[in-house]
Parts: sequence; C-alpha cells; structure tokens
Amino acid sequence: MERYSGISPKGDLLLIMRLCDILKNRTFLHINSTRSGGGVAEILQRMIPILKEVGIAARWEVIEGDNKFFDITKRIHNALHGRTEEITRDMWDYHFEINKKNTERINLDADAVLIHDPQPVPLIEFKKGGKWIWRCHIDVSNPQKDVYGYLRRYCEQYEAAIFSVSKFTRAMPVSEFIIPPSIDPISEKNMELSNDEIKGTLNKFQIPADRPIILQVSRFDRFKDPIGVIKAYKDVRKYNDCILILAGSPATDDPEGEIVLKEVKEYASDDPDIYILLLPPFSDRDINALQRASTIVLQKSLKEGFGLTVSEAMWKGKPVIGGAAGGIPLQIIHGVTGFLVHSVEGTAFRIRQILNNPEMAKRMGETGREYVRNNFLITRQVRDYLSVWYSLENKGKSILEL
Amino acid sequence: MTIPFEFKQYTGILKSTGRRAKNLRELRGGIAGVSKESIFHHTYQYFLKAHILEYTNDFAQWGGESIEERALSERLSNIDPYAFKDIDGLRAELTNVIDDYLENFPEPRDAAPGDEFYFNETITLIFSAGIRAKNLAEFLIAIKYIEPSSIYYHFYDARTRLGGINDFSKWFENELGKKELSEKIRLIDPFMHSIEKIREHISKLLEAEVKNDMEAIK
Repeated sequence: MERYSGISPKGDLLLIMRLCDILKNRTFLHINSTRSGGGVAEILQRMIPILKEVGIAARWEVIEGDNKFFDITKRIHNALHGRTEEITRDMWDYHFEINKKNTERINLDADAVLIHDPQPVPLIEFKKGGKWIWRCHIDVSNPQKDVYGYLRRYCEQYEAAIFSVSKFTRAMPVSEFIIPPSIDPISEKNMELSNDEIKGTLNKFQIPADRPIILQVSRFDRFKDPIGVIKAYKDVRKYNDCILILAGSPATDDPEGEIVLKEVKEYASDDPDIYILLLPPFSDRDINALQRASTIVLQKSLKEGFGLTVSEAMWKGKPVIGGAAGGIPLQIIHGVTGFLVHSVEGTAFRIRQILNNPEMAKRMGETGREYVRNNFLITRQVRDYLSVWYSLENKGKSILEL
Repeated sequence: MTIPFEFKQYTGILKSTGRRAKNLRELRGGIAGVSKESIFHHTYQYFLKAHILEYTNDFAQWGGESIEERALSERLSNIDPYAFKDIDGLRAELTNVIDDYLENFPEPRDAAPGDEFYFNETITLIFSAGIRAKNLAEFLIAIKYIEPSSIYYHFYDARTRLGGINDFSKWFENELGKKELSEKIRLIDPFMHSIEKIREHISKLLEAEVKNDMEAIK
C-alpha cells in the first residue's frame, strides 16, 4: 500500500484499510480463463498481490479447457458483442461439462468468489458458500438474445453482477454494480520515466524529437480507424509541422490485422514523418516512453470496449483526442481533459487547436491526470471490489458507516 | 472542553436500477417510479462529479446533451434540490417540469442508441479521513488539503442530514461560539459552486477570521 501513498487518493487507500480491518484474513477467490494475455489477466496480475498485502487471503484460479471449449467460449463472446453465432445445445452442454471438470481441481471454498467473464460462469452451479459475484468485462449492450438468455440462467444465481459501464447493464433480478476498469500507476506501462529513457526510446525507433509528436497506440484494427488518423494528420500538416506515430503489436491471431497494417503502410508510404511501429508483446516500457514523448495522444476509435489507453495517456499529463465510442466518453471530459470527436475533420481541427494552444494543452493534461487519479487507478478498483463484497454482507443498507 | 471536528469521507459505489430511458416520456416515467436513492444520486450527488457547472443534475445534462432539449434542460437545471423537504417533493417538481414541457413539445426526439439515460443509485460508505481539528487554525489547514469527497460530505450531504445547515457551520457555532462565521459559511450557495470553489470560499472566510483573532487585543 505504501507504494501507492502519495500517488492514489488518500481516501481510496484509507477505505481499503478500513474494509480490510473488517475483511482481514477472509478468502477472496478470483477465477478467469487465462493466466496471461488480455486485460483481465493483466489486472489480476497486479491486483492479487495488492489484496494479499492488505491482509485478504486472495487466490487466483484459471479454468482449463481444450480447443473445442475455447472455440465455444469465443463464439459466446462474439455473440455477446452482437455478432451472429450459433451455439447448439451440445455446445452449451460441453461448456457446462468442462466447468464441472474444473471443479475437481479448483477449490471453490471462499468467503467471496469473483467469476470473470462468461467462460467460467457455470461454476455457480457448484457453489459451496460465500458471496458469488459475476464480473462481466464485455460490452453486452447489444447481445445476441438467445445466447444472453441462456447465460442468464447462470447469472441470475449469483448474488451480484459487475459491469464496466452503465450501458452494459441488463435488467436482472440481482444487484448490478458499475465498476470501470483501471490502470496501475506503478506498472511498467505507467510508472515515471527519466528524460534519458524517453529519449533513448525515441532514438531506438529513430524518431526525431524536434517537432510535436501525435501518437495513437492501438492494434491495427479498422475499429481503431488508423487510416482516419492518417487522414486527420495529413490535414493538420497543411498548417502545422508535426510527426505521427502509429504504434501497435502485430496481430498474429487476427488475419484481418495484417491486411489493415498493409493498407496503413501503403497509405502512409509517401510521408517520411509517419512512423508505423510494430512493437513485440511486453513493450510496456516503450509504450510508456512514447506516450510521454508525445504532445497529443489520439484514440480515434469507431468502436471501443473501454479504451484504457485514454487513461494511460491522461495519467502522463497528455491532452487526449478520442472517438466518442465505448468507455472513451467516460474518460474524456470534452473541452476539459481533451476532446471527443466524431469525424476525421473534427480530429484534425482539435489537433490543430491543441498544437496552437500550448497553455490549453498543459491545463488539459494536468486536469486529465487528476481525473485519472480520482477515477481510474487500480486502488479505486480494489476499493470498489471490497466495497461490493462488504455491501453484500450488509444487504438492504444504502448507507454504510465504517 | 471543545469537541474536535473529525473530518469524515464519503465514497459511493455505483449500482444500476436496471431501468433506462430513450426519450423524455420514458425519462418522466423513470423519475416517477424509480427509488428515492436513484433520484438522490442523479440530483444531490451530481455535485460530486467533476462536471463543468453548465447543468445542475443528471436529468438536465441528459436533456441538454443527449436529446438536445435545451429549454427543458435549463428549466431542470434551475430546480434547487435543497429547496425540498424530501425526495418525493423534488421528484414531483421534476415530473411537473417535464409534463409542462411535453404539453408544449409533445414529440421529443429519441436519444441515439447507446446514449439512453441509465437510472443508477449508490451505496454510500462513510469513514473517518483520519484528520481532526481542535481550533480554527487547525481547521484552516485541514480544509485546504482534505479530499473533495470530505467537503461534499460535510457541506452538501449534511444539508440533507441536518436540514439546511452544514457540519462546518454547526461546529463553528456550537464548539467555537463563532456564530457570525457559522452564518457566513451557511450562506454560501452550494448550488452555484463546484466543490473546489466551496473549499476556496471557506478557506478565505477562515483566513480572515484567524487573522482577526490574532490581531484582537485581549
């Protein structure tokens, strides 16, 4: 906890300590479907040690399954996102059977159990005791109805569900909490870096530091609109000298990713000031340095889950221009911590506006950092999980005095 | 003996009611039927959020931003939640304003998909901030550095708990005998300031009072 002192809001740390006085030594089990890769695993890797440090007997288990199981859960995932998928009765049975098999290996005995996403959701059928909560990280605002309907039979057996954003909630007969995701301010991706290290990263990628840098960090995916970003940048270049960096990891598991990357490269080929960086996995420190070296950070998504890269950039004091999609409007206060945009033209205009107003950029960056400090740091998420657990132990009360 | 002022702090965990509205008629229905906790969250607790004070509650903000009914939004923004004895009085005023608007503009537009109004409520956790003040000077230092949610709890939330007064004024009058200061702080309009402006305002009044006390010949 001391590592977060002076970084996270004191109130969050105090509340965590107060809740831990009550919940100390009690068991808190988290179950998901992968140990690494993806946002859920990333947050659990950071959160479990924090919970242990504050005296909670936290445990993280991962369900195991074969390719057939994960093919089914991928289909369920896609259907919850609104894509049409057929999940047969046999598939649902297999989904259940694999979960049942995992109960032979995983000890489900705990005071509070947090089940992440739909893969392990049938485990509720094997509940022994404690408070069971389903944590849905997916955008289920427009799901395929029959698939969501089938999952509901499991979800409704939980005592509570947690969603990231209000619009992801569904009318269900269980308590539904809204807890946004978070970033860890002391992780490699967000920790403070020296100027030398930032310069070192720019040198490594042979990017000059003599002009303002516009950056977007994202997969090469059409929903992130990399071509739109280049169009906006080209428009800006008619008025302002600047550099554009598009940084992302190669998407080996996504054939469309390669096609998009090829398109982006072709579209940018005539401009030596556009840098397309293919970063290997675990490039967190380089991403950190690139964000810190930038003047403006973009997240011009057309569709987005939560878009935590926005909070990452705001935490580094950067004004952010983001597409008004998914969780981005929750992070950017339009005109205060950055700008929300709906078009290429809007993006270009806002880039120019910020480049021409360094004072405004500074003010937005400072306000953005404070906004992230108060709303999107991992300590707030730990605080919220413990608060939900505590509130379930005091059901029916809307005010809890500790 | 003076009882020290103990600063408390406030955290809300957001909970969905499962209810949403895509147009003004549905918003009206929601306001009429949703829990008191939800009305409280969307009005009184609005001040806790880091908004620019263009609106004064979530209903007005949604009316202005998502369905672009600006005149309605202005009228909703002008409703002072502290002017009502209880939530049902506030609820009735909100629905009256919407009914009146619907009579003149009976076909308001729908919000874009995903931009509906979501009725939420909060579970509130109150806990000690671990800071105490025994006199005015200590209080002055504390008010400058305590977290915004602490000011919200003692200045805004107290009005609904204590009926029109705030915890600070109560302590200044009861424990320090500072009736005039208490009154000046009570008169700060919570409706017209952000939490940070309230902090600034109180700090200035306290600075002046501490200075006066130090210069007084006793």
